[in-house]
Amino acid sequence: MAKYLAKRIFYLLLTLFIVITITFFLMKLLPGTPLTNQAKLSKSEIAVIYQQYGLDKPVWQQYLSYVWNALHGDFGTSFQFSDQSVSYLIGSRIGPSLQIGLQAMVVGVLAGITIGAIGAVRQNTWVDTTTTVISILGISIPSFVLAVLLQYFLGFKLQWFPIANWGGFMYTILPTLALAASPLAESARFMRTEMVDVLNSDYIELAKAKGMSKAKVIYHHALRNSLIPLITVVGPLAVGIMTGSMVVENIFSIPGIGEQFVKSVLTNDYPTIMGLTIVYSVMLMVVLLITDIIYGIVDPRIRITGGSN
Amino acid sequence: MNLHSSWKLGTVALASVALLAACGSKAADNKAKDKTINVAEASNLPSMDISKATDVVSGKTLNNTNEGLLKFGKNSSLHPAVAKSWTVSKDGKTYTYKLRQSKWSNGDPVTAQDFVYSWRRTVSPKTASQYAYLFDSIENAKSISSGKMAPSTLGIKALDKYTVQVKLAHAQSYFNELVANPEFYPQNQRVVEKYGKQYGTTSSAMVYNGPFKLTGWTGTNDTWTMVKNKSYWNAKSVKLNKVKFWTVKDNQTALSQYQTGKLDTMTLSSTQVKQYKNNPDYVLRPTASTFYIEMNEKKDPIFKNVKARQAISAAIDRDQFVNKVLADGSTAAKGLVPTKMQYQDGKDFASVAYQSGTVSYDLTKAKKLWQEALKESGQSSLSLNLLSDDTPAGKLTTEFLQDQLQKLPGLKITNQNLPFKTRLARSEEGNFDLVVTAWGADYPDASSFLDLFAKGNSLNNGKWSNSEYDDLVNKADVTDATDKKARFNDMVQADQLINQQAGVVPLYQQANGQLVKSNVKGIIYFPTGAQWDYSQAYLTK
Repeated sequence: MAKYLAKRIFYLLLTLFIVITITFFLMKLLPGTPLTNQAKLSKSEIAVIYQQYGLDKPVWQQYLSYVWNALHGDFGTSFQFSDQSVSYLIGSRIGPSLQIGLQAMVVGVLAGITIGAIGAVRQNTWVDTTTTVISILGISIPSFVLAVLLQYFLGFKLQWFPIANWGGFMYTILPTLALAASPLAESARFMRTEMVDVLNSDYIELAKAKGMSKAKVIYHHALRNSLIPLITVVGPLAVGIMTGSMVVENIFSIPGIGEQFVKSVLTNDYPTIMGLTIVYSVMLMVVLLITDIIYGIVDPRIRITGGSN
Repeated sequence: MNLHSSWKLGTVALASVALLAACGSKAADNKAKDKTINVAEASNLPSMDISKATDVVSGKTLNNTNEGLLKFGKNSSLHPAVAKSWTVSKDGKTYTYKLRQSKWSNGDPVTAQDFVYSWRRTVSPKTASQYAYLFDSIENAKSISSGKMAPSTLGIKALDKYTVQVKLAHAQSYFNELVANPEFYPQNQRVVEKYGKQYGTTSSAMVYNGPFKLTGWTGTNDTWTMVKNKSYWNAKSVKLNKVKFWTVKDNQTALSQYQTGKLDTMTLSSTQVKQYKNNPDYVLRPTASTFYIEMNEKKDPIFKNVKARQAISAAIDRDQFVNKVLADGSTAAKGLVPTKMQYQDGKDFASVAYQSGTVSYDLTKAKKLWQEALKESGQSSLSLNLLSDDTPAGKLTTEFLQDQLQKLPGLKITNQNLPFKTRLARSEEGNFDLVVTAWGADYPDASSFLDLFAKGNSLNNGKWSNSEYDDLVNKADVTDATDKKARFNDMVQADQLINQQAGVVPLYQQANGQLVKSNVKGIIYFPTGAQWDYSQAYLTK
């Protein structure tokens, strides 16, 4: 296991290095400068400023010094937020994004499992149809539409929740619900299909034949075994939420990182683009690694024993 | 339960009811009592460093928490601020400001040296200020910012603790209009050096000499508050205790919060302007910015022909565009220089310079001119690309212009909407046929626009050039620099000339629709630079 982990972490770092390199050179191909006042500056004025930031050097030199500084924990300073270090910018704004994302995952996946399981157990009844309709709606309604509807009815009309901004648990409920719809639908559909398969398998028949109660059969055998494949979709779903929350963050005025990701590209804010690329890549790779490890733990058939694989 | 305890219980119950009732009414006029207003802001506050801030939110916050020699009032009028009086030498090259005794929020006195230090810091190439060019008229500024001279040689001196003397390289009649902008505010050397790299990155790593102090800003968060600054020299004239800012990026969210009373003022999107323009809370804020078309004379020699340029100008129905298509409160351009920016003897520059026929719609005339231009260039048809931003307004503009311009015989237009930075790069490289450009003035003087198209200006992307125009601009900037009236006339003539010649094709002057609660009074708005002053604002009721 330790050997396997070491190998995976080595690949993770290698991938990260490749991602950094490709992003850096692609980013330098973006037309324009990172200067916010670019439209009013002449070429010679831009040249003076470029010298201060070392942007006048050849791209490969800039790349080397970026990697060198990054290895020493210095990710540069942002251009949009002048003089603010990128690590501080990301660090101070990633919390709300992560909180909303995690809450949405937990709520969405738990509700999805429940709904999917109910649908499978009550296969081909009106209950099943209802759960299917819920999951289809969850997939087809974009999160920002749901966000606006929730904000209008629960925030503006009924005033049960704050309309927007950040300031405690109450403020997180509406954005969480808006973001939870997609993982809910996704996992409900997955869960239902898996569970229908499992319920039709021989060992469930055997368990029933042994005289186990229906509840016990479902809980002990069907549910657990149906959950295994779900683990594979939860990882990518989690990353999808992290990156896809930008619009929802805007609608609810959440001080998150989603918007910075897009804005940094649009404004050529090189250090911020790099910083966020690294953060998102690491998150994706770590989530995938964890998924693989958990998968091995719950499914003995693919347990990693080290040595050859 | 005996009588005594039930009596007690009754009292408690009564008291709670009274308390609840009190709470209810308290919530309603809490804000008026606290003298607080809540303002929606569409983007974050990125910097409080006077030398480095470039955006509107930073400018506005600096303008309310700090103060320079002079300040802007309504209609961009100038008022004394840290300077209580000033004199200008006859040749217009020496400005002397007498400062009042005032204090920074840390107790330090605001002295002439603070101005000297601040201006040197901004002009120094080490600071990499993106606004250093505003200082270009000051003696040695250009050489300093290009690294050829030391910052200490800048033409600003502290004659004594409370007298600042500025020497200009050449007379500049709008120098005081520059000085009123945040880039020219003083900076406290002790504080700048104490915080080093952290200076101006949080509300506590900063010092204030203006009507308010900034609090609660961590550098990257979405809310911050300006509280009344008791050490401000004119603190007794400041009526509000707090101005609270909320970053709300979505207009619909801001509108809902405005309607529930959480916000006292917000800026509307163009669709919201359509719905709310008859609302009693609606206020229109014209900006000092003009959107215009630049025609690439280098790439498409046909635009060297005045007829071709005039044809483009006359083919566009600007009124229909601003009223029916854009409909966000913007107005049809009267010329290159926007309205409500510069005044002379109470008269608006753009209205004085306006000549009907130069920027009005006349399709018959346009078709005739275009036909002649085509013939003279020896072409029978032309295919041009029209470049603009990929914003909603940018897309509306290109769609409308494409429809209008294709009415000209033999002209085919292809639209291209690109992200701002990419569009800008294409403009600068001259890689376009027609481009929609926006320019906003840094200071309320027509030269901010007119200088762009004078000889040698690198921001003139279309490369239109006219020697008569160059002479007029030169006259305004040099010969008549100390004669306000003559200079105004020179600039009026220059504006009229570029409009007649269609050196660029002015489209519209941008304006923003806002909602302001009827009990909020006294917010001062001016169309350039920092734009907003809350120091005189107050709440009624």
